Formats: sequence, C-alpha cells, structure tokens
Amino acid sequence: MTENTTKPGGKDIGTLLVAALFVGLGLLTLHDVTGYSDSDSIVFPTTVAYALIFFSVLVIIYSWLKPNLENGFGSGDWWRRLMLVASMIAACLMMPYTGFLPATAVAFVGSLIAARHEGWDFRSAAVFAVSGAVIMGAFYALFRFALNVPLP
Amino acid sequence: MDWGNLANALTLANLALALFGVVAGTVIGSIPGLSATMAVAVLVPITFAMEPASALILLGAIYTGAIYGGAYSAILLNTPGTPSAIATTFDGYPMAKRGDGDLAVAIACYASVFGGMVGALALLLLAPPLSTVALAFGPVEYLWLSVFGLSLIASLSTGNVLKGLAGGAFGLLLSCVGVAEISADIRLTFGSSTMIGGIEVVGALIGLYCIPVLIDLVATPERHLKVEDEVRSVRFKEGALIAWKSRINLLRSSVIGTVIGILPGAGGSVAGLVAYSEAKRTAKPGQKFGEGEPDGIMATEAANNATVGGGFIPTLVLGIPGTPPDAVILGALLVQGVRTGPALFDGGGSIVYTFIFGLFIATILMLPTGLLIGRYAYKTIVTIPKTILVPTVGFMTIIGTYAIRNSISDVIIMIGLGSVGWVLSRFGFAASPIVLGLILGPIAEQGFVQAWIIGEATGNLTGMFFGRPISLAIIAFTILTLIYPVIQSRRARRLARTQANSND
Repeated sequence: MTENTTKPGGKDIGTLLVAALFVGLGLLTLHDVTGYSDSDSIVFPTTVAYALIFFSVLVIIYSWLKPNLENGFGSGDWWRRLMLVASMIAACLMMPYTGFLPATAVAFVGSLIAARHEGWDFRSAAVFAVSGAVIMGAFYALFRFALNVPLP
Repeated sequence: MDWGNLANALTLANLALALFGVVAGTVIGSIPGLSATMAVAVLVPITFAMEPASALILLGAIYTGAIYGGAYSAILLNTPGTPSAIATTFDGYPMAKRGDGDLAVAIACYASVFGGMVGALALLLLAPPLSTVALAFGPVEYLWLSVFGLSLIASLSTGNVLKGLAGGAFGLLLSCVGVAEISADIRLTFGSSTMIGGIEVVGALIGLYCIPVLIDLVATPERHLKVEDEVRSVRFKEGALIAWKSRINLLRSSVIGTVIGILPGAGGSVAGLVAYSEAKRTAKPGQKFGEGEPDGIMATEAANNATVGGGFIPTLVLGIPGTPPDAVILGALLVQGVRTGPALFDGGGSIVYTFIFGLFIATILMLPTGLLIGRYAYKTIVTIPKTILVPTVGFMTIIGTYAIRNSISDVIIMIGLGSVGWVLSRFGFAASPIVLGLILGPIAEQGFVQAWIIGEATGNLTGMFFGRPISLAIIAFTILTLIYPVIQSRRARRLARTQANSND
C-alpha cells in the first residue's frame, strides 16, 4: 500500500466516487447477465462482477479509513483538456459525413489550439497550418495508398 | 543442419531483404496502432513472388523489427507502438521524462537484439522438442496461465494493490463487452451499436496510455520531455555497460519470452509483462521499478523479441501459430506451398535453416539500424514543439485505431476509454491492471468454459482443474508470485532490525 498523506477529517472523495461507480457497474453487469440465453456466457462476467464489487468495496473502506489527499485533478487549464477531447470526439462524429481528412482536421486544429500556450501571431499560425497539412497528408497517404486502409 | 544454409542466408539479396524488413518493421512498429501483425500482414503480398526462404527472411525481419519499433513510442510518448511494449512504458517514459530517453532507447535496442538472438537460438537448436510444450497445454492450462498473468497485478500496481485488483476486474469486465466468445450472446452493450464489436485491445491500450498523456500535456505549458543543455546522441556505450551488468536479467527474460512465445495465443504482451514482473520480483536493493529503472526496459524488450523465435517453433514444427504475426506468416507459407511440420526440419531443412540464419542476421542488423533510427526518433521527439507534437500524436491515435478494424466505433471507444483512464489515473487506479484484465480476459474465459465443459463431460471436474501436472506447476508458481513480495518485505524488515541491533 502507498504511504498516504492524511489529515484529520479530510476525505478522498474522487476515489470514493470512482469505487462507488465500479460497484454500480458490477451491479449493472449482474442485472445484464439475467438476459443472456446461454449459461456459458453468464459464468465469467458474473464472477468478474462479484470480484469488481468486492475489491471496490474494499477500496471504499480503505480510502475512507486512510484517504490519500494527494489524489485529484491537479493544476492546469480545464478548457484545454476539454477542447482536446471534444475536438477528437467531434472528428469521429463528423467522419461518416465529411470524410476522414476534413474530420480529423477539426481534431488537429482543436488539439493545436489546446496545446499552444505561447500565444499566436500570423507567422506561427502559418507555420503550424502548413506543418499540420504536411503531417496529415503524409499519414493519410501512407495509410490510404501504401497500407490500403479504406479511410472514409 | 548444413552450413551451406548460412551461405544461402548471406546472399546479397537476402541481406538486402533482411535490412529492408528490419527498417520497415521498426518504422511501422513505432507508429501507435500499427502492430507487428499489421506490419507483417501489409507486407505479405510482396513475398508471394519470392523464394520461400527469402520470403520467410523478409517476414521474420519485419516481425522482429516491428516488435522492437514499439519501444520508441513507448519510451518517448508513453504509448506502446505494439501491445508487446506495454511494460516498456513503465520505466521507459519516466526515463525519457527525466532526460534519459536516449539511454532508454539504446538499452531497449541492446535488449531486443539479445532477446531476439536467444529466441532464434532456441528455434535453431530446440525447435522439435520444445514444440511438444505447446501440445501439452490444454484449456485448463491456459486458464491457469491467465490467472498467473492476473496475479501480476500485485506487482504491476505501483500504488495501491486494492485499486490494482479493482482495475484488473474492470479490465476483465471490459473484455466481456460485445459478442461472447463461446456463445453468441451480446453482452454489456446496453443497447449501444458502437459497443457490439467489443473493445479492441490495441485501440484500448492506445487510449488508456496515450490519451491521458495528451490531456496532461495540453493542460500546462511545461515541456513534454526534459531536454539536456546539449542534445546528445543515443548513449551507445553507457547503454551497453548497463546491459552487460544486467546480463542475468536479460537471459532470464529472454528465456521467459521464448517459452511464452511457444504457447499459442499468449504473445509478446504477456511475455513482456511476465518478464517485467520477474525482474521486479528479483530486484536488487535500491532499484525503483516504475520510476525509470533500466532493468524494467531490458526485461520487457528482451522477452518480447525472444517471442519472435519462440513463436516460430510451434508454427514451423506443428503448424500452430505461436503469436498472431506467426498466423499471418503461416498463411504466407501455405501460399508458397510450404507444408509445415517436423518433416520441414528433416526433408525440407534447407528452407527452414536458411530462414533461421536469416533471422539471426536480421536480429544482428537491428543493432545498427535500431540505434540509428532511435537516435533520430529521440532527437525529433525531444526537439519538436509541444504545440505540433500533441495534434500529431492525436491524429496518429485516430488513424492508427481506425486502421485496426476500419471502425469509427473503435476510435470513439479509444477516446472514451482514454478519458476515463485519465480520471482513474488521477485517483490512483493505474492503466496497467486494466489492460492486463482486457488482454487476459478472453484467454481466461475460453479456458475456463472449455475446461468446465470437458470436466463435466468426463465427470471429473476437480481433476480437470487441479489434477494436471502443468496446471499444478502454474498454480504453485502463481501462489509463489503472490506471497513472495510478503516474504521479501518481512525478510527486509528482519534484516533492517538485525542491522539496527548490531549498530546499537
């Protein structure tokens, strides 16, 4: 076990929530298996669900008694994190309609904006735009034409 | 064995093929999402017009290069280029973060070459007797092997063991998503069509290892890797010295890799994790695994490259592919009209021995090419601005995950799992136990259900699970793995107490 940073009264709420969600997931699995037709499909997920619930309850008890207050999301800009993930998911949702390159360009630009901390000027924007186009074009060509991956 | 076969392997054409294969494999393997299987599969068609021995040399070289190439992105981006490099991330990325990425890349190269040579040597000298090991493994042995693999969670959980066990169970549950392996039930999709195809392992591990790093990178303005004042070349001599000092670890890991490579379906990822766990279990005082310990990289890389030679043993002797890329190579051999089996070593020995010598040559060629490519990969990753690195890696994760099954659902699952993995990691739930559960889940379930059916049919369920010698040996080893850390810590405490008393 880790050495915990504890202070009287403090609780590691995040760990408790995650473990509680795992318990919920285990219960959801136990409910889901009731709909399977073949008993061979039931045994393994049921066993695993019980194990997940058991270990998660132990995590809850341990974290309640010895909370690690160093856990947490830490410092950093939330809008950048969200922009990165949102732009990548947006690319996936757009892909069937716009094709691969336009959709992933959205993810590329979103990640670029999220990762840039130094501020923008015309020159840097132009350099990154050209670099991005070259990188995406090269990988697209590699996968599409050399590796014959049927990209949408 | 005829030394004329060595001369056949050393023809200019075969040397050129081996060099091309190693370079192509290393580059493809270093791209997250492009596994060794894919590297071999993509390049198989160009072998159809070749002589069988030359075709085998090229495919073997691609395979061994791809397994090594996975280490680059594991070390420099915390993203295993191939599943077999999962455990390389544990110490490789911490080394890169503290400014020792060049050393880590050199160490990985030496270990890969050593492991590859041991695997090839086993293939050369012990192929027919060792192949019988694969035949002795039935469903119940695979079940216990996966249970043994799961027991590694205890050693892979660098933080909290309970959280590691919960994470492992979560990974096992994720492996159940989609259409069941044994029957046709659709499990745990909750009505979502995105989930029906299940969770693809490579996509999942790209998400779980890479997306959290990207999320952390964008959040703060700090550099992605520590840069020394003067950018050094890859530290060849220092790496060689460290590798020589850890020769026992290298040898043990290579043997583990060879034996696990022989077992069909286990593969380089399991071999790397088992070898890492063993290196950690036998660590010297002061070694800090998980915080940038060179022995961790060496164990993984030696083991995963040893699976190449090991995997060819059942492939060539029994026609049973030891690892997924072997299955592709087996298909290519059938196209060539080569019939695998023990007779291949007797009657048609020239093909197989020319190939084995070719594998040695390809492995040796990996040393200069690997160090050279590693030098440029390191310099590129270290000096590239974070602003362009993040979108490039993000783009590679999307295209790499998509390419595995041509599925947008896999990409969505990859991003979703990565985001969940980031949240979990922030609260001490490491990615490795989840990945371990995901990889071992199908092997464990299939072994369990098949053994259960056979046990019930023969009326000897207990004997089926606990009465077979290999199973008992694996069970004993699992118990030893679980209790050894407890014994070790007690012994260390007793030693410390004795020293304190003698000082008084």
